[in-house]
Amino acid sequence: MAAPRSNREFVEACVKSGDAVRIKQEVDWENEAGAIVRRACELAAPAPFMEKIKDYPGFSYFGAPLSTYRRMAISMGMDPNASLPEIGKEYVKRTNGEPIAPVLVDRKDAPCKENILKGKDVDLCKLPIPLVHDGDGGRYVGTWHAVVTKHPVRGDVNWGMYRQMMFDSRTMSGAVFPFSDLGKALNDYYLPRGESCPFATAIGLSPLAAMAACAPSPIPEPELTGMLAGEPVKLVKCETNDLEVPADAEIILEGEICPDYKVEEGPFGEYTGYRTSPRDFRVTFRVNCITYRNNATMTISNMGVPQDEGQLLRSFSLGLELEKLLKSQGIPVTGVYMHPRSTHHMMIVGVKPTYSGVAQQIGQLAFGSKLGPWFHMVMVVDDQTDIYNWDEVYHAFCTRCHPENGIHIYRNSPGTPLYPFATPHERKFSIGSKVVFDCLWPTDWDRINDVPTLVSFKNVYPKDVQEKVMSNWTAYGYPAVK
Amino acid sequence: MNQWEVYVNSEKELAEDTDLELTIRTLNPGLHKYTYKRVKCQVSSDLKKYADQLQVRLGRGQLSASRFSIKVLGEIQRMPAKYA
Repeated sequence: MAAPRSNREFVEACVKSGDAVRIKQEVDWENEAGAIVRRACELAAPAPFMEKIKDYPGFSYFGAPLSTYRRMAISMGMDPNASLPEIGKEYVKRTNGEPIAPVLVDRKDAPCKENILKGKDVDLCKLPIPLVHDGDGGRYVGTWHAVVTKHPVRGDVNWGMYRQMMFDSRTMSGAVFPFSDLGKALNDYYLPRGESCPFATAIGLSPLAAMAACAPSPIPEPELTGMLAGEPVKLVKCETNDLEVPADAEIILEGEICPDYKVEEGPFGEYTGYRTSPRDFRVTFRVNCITYRNNATMTISNMGVPQDEGQLLRSFSLGLELEKLLKSQGIPVTGVYMHPRSTHHMMIVGVKPTYSGVAQQIGQLAFGSKLGPWFHMVMVVDDQTDIYNWDEVYHAFCTRCHPENGIHIYRNSPGTPLYPFATPHERKFSIGSKVVFDCLWPTDWDRINDVPTLVSFKNVYPKDVQEKVMSNWTAYGYPAVK
Repeated sequence: MNQWEVYVNSEKELAEDTDLELTIRTLNPGLHKYTYKRVKCQVSSDLKKYADQLQVRLGRGQLSASRFSIKVLGEIQRMPAKYA
């Protein structure tokens, strides 16, 4: 099965497999669409494809695009029943190859140019921008999208998923963290010079382009998208600046980030499951041009309590990118996983504990990397613990992590303003704290006399007894175990 | 009558019957619902004092039970002219 090349192909594939439902009755852009998406996330239900939106004939919504591992498998062209380790293995395989450069197509071959609004015709309210959660600071344009920018000196392209709120008909404001690629470009270059930063927001991307925009990979997102898809992504020049955007995106907003003007943004329900960050003056985007496909579909991610794509996809890519980093440093890791329910705050690392201090080494590498600001807990378990099985991980944590010697705290590190536990001061200045939970038996303990023996069916009985009990299980009167 | 909404950290920010500068959003039905303006205005807890209505949300989006009437005295242009 080939990976869907566009959001439209993805919707079709999901409907066909039963992983999306077509909603034909009219849906209100004010709260109702958001509530449908939220409930679908909390029930792990099929993604809603809402075909009729109040006030906006001709437009549709696709919500919760990647909030299940089944839809993630479909997005990669895999069997929807593929297991998480299988999907992870495929991601690592594809992203360890040679970068695949994008190709530039002519405007006439770019569906995103089917409708073009410029000058006085530019009005964000012509798009069905939803009020995602009741009480949000505004209607959010960008919840599942990519903000495209280019570094003015190095020239590297960044696609990032920075939330964007409609402030007025031509203005958006958004949260751009100072440690992000765009945050660094703004603070290093544009703001000190008072220069506008050209941007384009692409909405309704192919699922793999969205996955790339979410992934904290060092590979530029257009190339990463090509690697994930196995073919080059098609880009087209913007109308009003020199940026290039995915040709098959549903909606493109072009404009400039204002270096000398800020408007209020937020609050907004986020992936942590809370509205945490205060309303504040944030990065301000002025829109100069809108282009969109006929019958355009706006994608909606409704973040809140687990689980939505903010948690699921970010957990997935953060874990796998950390695994690649640790392996590149020669750490004997056996796997890395973030449970989406941790709202991508806890990294679980499996390792062969062959030398002392390996847990702290892992924590220092993880927190010191580009990935570090996005999580604050690293739990290190041995290679006998199944990192995907929370029961096993939790047992290891509660029984092997020494309350004094096994917990290592790092203060004054980068953090996000979205940490619900952070103080108001820490949120304002993106200050974090980190912790490593070392759940490994100390290497200086005697393996025979000091390390406790795990008492489990798998561990303490001879193989022949295990097999006998399992084969007689139903004969004993128990129902069969799947 | 127009309906407006404002976000404040504390209702103390809404001093009555004095000139205030607030960022308010329209709750009037239509395509432009929830778009913002920066305005000079006066507010009152007497709902009949001014022609328009104002409802209040707190820092994390909680809807306040308090209601105000509001008179918009004029729009304030904060945006530099070059972006117009």
